[in-house]
Amino acid sequence: MQDKITRIFKAIADPTRRDIFHALVIASSTLSISQISNQFEITRQGVTKHIKTLEEAGLVDIERKGRERFCNANATPLKEINKWMKFYEQFWDNSLDNLDDYLDGKLS
Amino acid sequence: MKDMITKEKIFKHSIETVWNAISNGKELSTWFIQADFKAEKGYHYTFTSDEDGCVPITGEIKSADPYTLVYTWIVEGTNTETTVSWVLETIPGGTKLYLEHSGISKYEGETAVTMFDSFNGGWDNCTNKLVSYLKENVHAG
Repeated sequence: MQDKITRIFKAIADPTRRDIFHALVIASSTLSISQISNQFEITRQGVTKHIKTLEEAGLVDIERKGRERFCNANATPLKEINKWMKFYEQFWDNSLDNLDDYLDGKLS
Repeated sequence: MKDMITKEKIFKHSIETVWNAISNGKELSTWFIQADFKAEKGYHYTFTSDEDGCVPITGEIKSADPYTLVYTWIVEGTNTETTVSWVLETIPGGTKLYLEHSGISKYEGETAVTMFDSFNGGWDNCTNKLVSYLKENVHAG
């Protein structure tokens, strides 16, 4: 559990993986490794490696049909991080506004 | 998406005034959160509050040389150590603050959501009370 969000960050830190993930999010259906490979001009091996990292982060679900693997994006894990980021964004905005008020009030 | 929150804010006050506000325990207790805080490297501080729902925050001062203040930030009930740093810079007419909060990705997945829900509003509550206090007492003066 400890490493779950760390894995998500690691997965989306790489620009190619972000692009692959994005392509899967906007795809109307699941994409096979071959389809991704053609779209990004990366070797099957390269795509497989990226997909594995995304799968480990929980961002991609893989369905195996015969010899081919079909990938589907899962954006749910991103929501957890987003929640924390949003919370602290708001918290620091409020706090710095307080600091501003405090400084102005103190010197008036 | 970055594992970091950064804020910049300009204050129309001297660097010394802003430094005191962010590094002096008594001043922090007024505008931020009730604090047992000393800007000394190695000091273990506590941000706490008597109000219900205010989860204490603890940490250690890593650096406190004017005008850079860095400390770890651990929310009670989590084992996650994040880092908060405040850097001040004199600019014409005032002081610029750079605030950075890093390591947020280290929060545990599902626990994070639970924790978040449990103190969502909690901290706001802590600080908002201070704002009303300031408005009633300090601003009036």
